[in-house]
Amino acid sequence: MKIFLIVLSLAIIAVAPFFGQIDLSLKNLLDISTTDYKIFFDLRVPRVLLAFFVGAILALSGLVFQTIFRNPMSTPFTLGVASGATLFTAIGIIIGLSAFISLFAFLGAVITIIVLFMISARFKTYETSSMLLVGIALSFFYSASLMIVFFLSDLQENYEIVRFTMGSLDVVGFNEVYLVTIAGIFLFSLVKKQSYHIKLLLTSHEFAFLKGVNVKKTNYILLLSVSVAVGISVSVTGPIGFVGLIIPHILKNMMRQSADKLILPIFFYGGVFLVLCDVIARNLSTASDIPIGVVTAFIGTPFFIYLIISRKRQN
Amino acid sequence: MLKLENYSSKILSNISLYIENKNLIVLGANGAGKTTLAKVLSGVITSENIEFETPRTKFVNYIPSYLEIFDDFLNVREFLQLSHLHGAQTIDEVLHLLEIEHLKDKSCKNLSSGESQLLLIASSILHGAKYTILDEPTSNLDPKKVKMVYGVLKDENLLQNKIIITHNLHLAYKLGFDVVYIEDGKINFIGTNEQFFSSENLHKVFEGSVKKIDENIVIAL
Repeated sequence: MKIFLIVLSLAIIAVAPFFGQIDLSLKNLLDISTTDYKIFFDLRVPRVLLAFFVGAILALSGLVFQTIFRNPMSTPFTLGVASGATLFTAIGIIIGLSAFISLFAFLGAVITIIVLFMISARFKTYETSSMLLVGIALSFFYSASLMIVFFLSDLQENYEIVRFTMGSLDVVGFNEVYLVTIAGIFLFSLVKKQSYHIKLLLTSHEFAFLKGVNVKKTNYILLLSVSVAVGISVSVTGPIGFVGLIIPHILKNMMRQSADKLILPIFFYGGVFLVLCDVIARNLSTASDIPIGVVTAFIGTPFFIYLIISRKRQN
Repeated sequence: MLKLENYSSKILSNISLYIENKNLIVLGANGAGKTTLAKVLSGVITSENIEFETPRTKFVNYIPSYLEIFDDFLNVREFLQLSHLHGAQTIDEVLHLLEIEHLKDKSCKNLSSGESQLLLIASSILHGAKYTILDEPTSNLDPKKVKMVYGVLKDENLLQNKIIITHNLHLAYKLGFDVVYIEDGKINFIGTNEQFFSSENLHKVFEGSVKKIDENIVIAL
């Protein structure tokens, strides 16, 4: 089963660039002067790589947030990071700095995580439900602010903002892909390096402290690296929700092992999941690609609910 | 030496304790501040009134009265591996000692309250700190297990210095360690086991609800 899944996943990644609105002929791919070659190497391959690393970052960030805030519903997105990125991007668009929207999205995500961390530091122990409530309140605040921005924007700006919130893996060439790849590998190695501490934090913060973990420092390192990685990926693709929530849950329930052993699987299958969703989004023979966030939610929700129900039945 | 000087908080007032290479029993009514005191002594609640030898993990450890774990799939063996810091025993020896070998592959989340209590005691032995504070280590155990844990607590080679919070007066009496009695956040009594469990003192402290009959401490119902 395990080997079958790995082989299947690798196959999905390998064939993903061959699917799309334009059919490519294999023969043309060997010829550097053809359009097929250009489509394949300038659009499709970068897109698959981007999807893989964005999915991987989002899924792993979900695991890190669930560890730190000790709540299975905490992800950078449920705690308002996506809305933060969206709001800042929208502000960037209406003040006429559309060229820098990546920077605005990055700032929005990072500032939100820093605000969350500062608020959580004020709680004596990490009160998990309070944290989630703060995140939800923050999201509402951002939505309200976004309404004001919409109100102030003209039609063109309005359209740009809406397109950003839908999330998109459209990419040309490798520059942004490199950035996200580096962010992904950086986040993975850092989380992997902290895996022993993560395992301890997943018992209780008190237990981790008594075993010599500097709980505050570890949380700080983890949150900071997540905020940078998520900030970068949101700045390139816009907010793509849901991956961070469902992938850690699905893998936990399938593999039934402690979280430190799930770091690599969550990273890998998070990536594969988004690649698969993107293949579907690109091939539903509509006039243009449907937004990636729609596909992740349509596939993820039923499977996720099924898993939760079947788990409740087992217990 | 575990030394706490003039500690005060919302719950405790002006507590000083000096514990040098010995075992201690902490008694007191519900809400008197015993657990708070344990958390201060172990550094879980930070305070400037206490100093720890370094590394802190080798010096002091605190075992709460119930097991708190967030990870659904962390099993007993993994939990004990995380606990195994300075103790001389192996995990298998400790599992055998506490008669919980059959649980070793079970998820910690699926243990009964008594089983998790034994797991916590196993973890304290593997941790092997110089001072171990055990918060109600027998509160969820059946009588046979209480007897077994009594043996563990009595054995000088398993845990070096123990500070045991308990409501089990008979256990406290039979252990024979010095007693600290806490009332409303203050130390009301500190002295030898013999002094505390004298009939007059029992009458003074528990107002007739506890009696000593033939070397047994019983609750007079």
